[in-house]
Amino acid sequence: MHIIDCYAYSNKIRAVDPAQKAGLAVIVLGLCLAFNHPVVSLLAVAWMWGLAVWQAGLPVLVFGRVLLAELFFLALATVAVALSVSLNAPANPDAWLLPVGPLWISSTPDDIFKAANLVLRALGAASAMNFLALTTPLVDLVDLLRRLRFSPILIDLMTVMYRFIFVLMESLNRMYVAQDSRLGYSSYWRGMSSAGLLGSRLFIEAFQRSQRLQTALDARGYEGGHLQVLPTTYYRSDKLLAMSAAAILSLAAAWLVL
Amino acid sequence: MTFHKRLRWSMLLVLPLLLGVRIAWAYPAAAPSSMHIMEGFLPLGWAVFWWLVALPFWIIGFIKVKKLLTEKPEQRLLLGLAGGFIFVLSALKIPSVTGSSSHPTGTGLGTILFGPFVVGILGTIALIFQALLVAHGGISTLGANAMSMAIGGPLIAYGVWRLLRGKAPSYVNVFVTAFVADLATYVITTSQLALAFPDPVSGFMGSWLTFAGIFAVTQIPLAVAEGILTVLIFNALQTSATAEMQALGLQEA
Repeated sequence: MHIIDCYAYSNKIRAVDPAQKAGLAVIVLGLCLAFNHPVVSLLAVAWMWGLAVWQAGLPVLVFGRVLLAELFFLALATVAVALSVSLNAPANPDAWLLPVGPLWISSTPDDIFKAANLVLRALGAASAMNFLALTTPLVDLVDLLRRLRFSPILIDLMTVMYRFIFVLMESLNRMYVAQDSRLGYSSYWRGMSSAGLLGSRLFIEAFQRSQRLQTALDARGYEGGHLQVLPTTYYRSDKLLAMSAAAILSLAAAWLVL
Repeated sequence: MTFHKRLRWSMLLVLPLLLGVRIAWAYPAAAPSSMHIMEGFLPLGWAVFWWLVALPFWIIGFIKVKKLLTEKPEQRLLLGLAGGFIFVLSALKIPSVTGSSSHPTGTGLGTILFGPFVVGILGTIALIFQALLVAHGGISTLGANAMSMAIGGPLIAYGVWRLLRGKAPSYVNVFVTAFVADLATYVITTSQLALAFPDPVSGFMGSWLTFAGIFAVTQIPLAVAEGILTVLIFNALQTSATAEMQALGLQEA
């Protein structure tokens, strides 16, 4: 979590208008889903990875690591797409069969191709969102939602949530280390009761923090209404715009040619 | 096909499965212990479909949250912190029998503490954050994930909670609620996947059973463990957070 957030703040195109980056990511995501073609998906991965490295100045491996984690995440669900399980042997002559007890596990070249296409499509779509996540801090995206006239209540909720995720996460880690160093997780049941205690303390911390924050706001004359924050200044990058256009056109061209 | 040829093919197919399971156990962060559907995994039609299905629930949740905040403007920060709590809860480690650890979904506890519709909104925001901060889930699959984790699970769990309240001891009620919340999420996600990817041989049911079987390995023990954990958290809250529980209407003054 910290890795993605760190790069989101420290990359070279952080100050580029989030509308530009989100627009690119959403269009590429949409094209990957709509075209549903392995070459388009691969091209999307290449473009997004390339832009993240050359434009945003991210280390080559960071993008790869995030993508790899997503690949593992996909692995289990994809197996179910590639394999068929049935009570009767399938009639398809191309099928590979493996009897397990009363069940037939089977697969066909077609199924394998479908599963591979699925993995590529998911990776293409995920790399578009990874590009956005790694180059744009969440606060900028929330700010973009504000510009799009999104509900102010939800924007306030998101702002407060984003801020306190990190605060609460730090409390959680501190408490966990304290418990662990006192053998709090040395056996199954001890671990369970430690985790229960940790969860309840975390809730109390969150609740009391919200009360203290409320007091602090009240003391500064807050009378309800939306929370105000200072606006950030962005700039438009024509270079990124040109590259985005090239990426989108090449995806469309690849689909038309193939 | 000869026996050896068949064996070779089956090995080839089983290998990625074993690799996936091995890695899932080795890296809790990459583990599919949660039931997120990855970005881009659902075809466009199904992704849009689940967005549309989730939409009315989001609108109801939004109206409830808006009403709550007009009546009690001071709850604005509490709601934000509650959302943060729900997000962070999924980083808590529950010890599991296999030696490594899994993570709770927090759906059951959130529903008991804050009600199903508020959890629907906060959970959806948490899912957006998970997609953008930890690369779990996604924007195109947000509708489907919200339907299973932030809307369906909590609503069913809330039904169980209301049904058992006053009839069963509170620890039984809390356990069953948290267990059912996880189970409902698991069943809904499995159905979503089976609908999108029906088995070419055995159709929807065959594919449902395949997905269910694959995820049962991690999800059933997780549901039991989360049930136990939620009881422990709830008990600790009742003894040490009396004021907070009263404020949420969960304990008599």
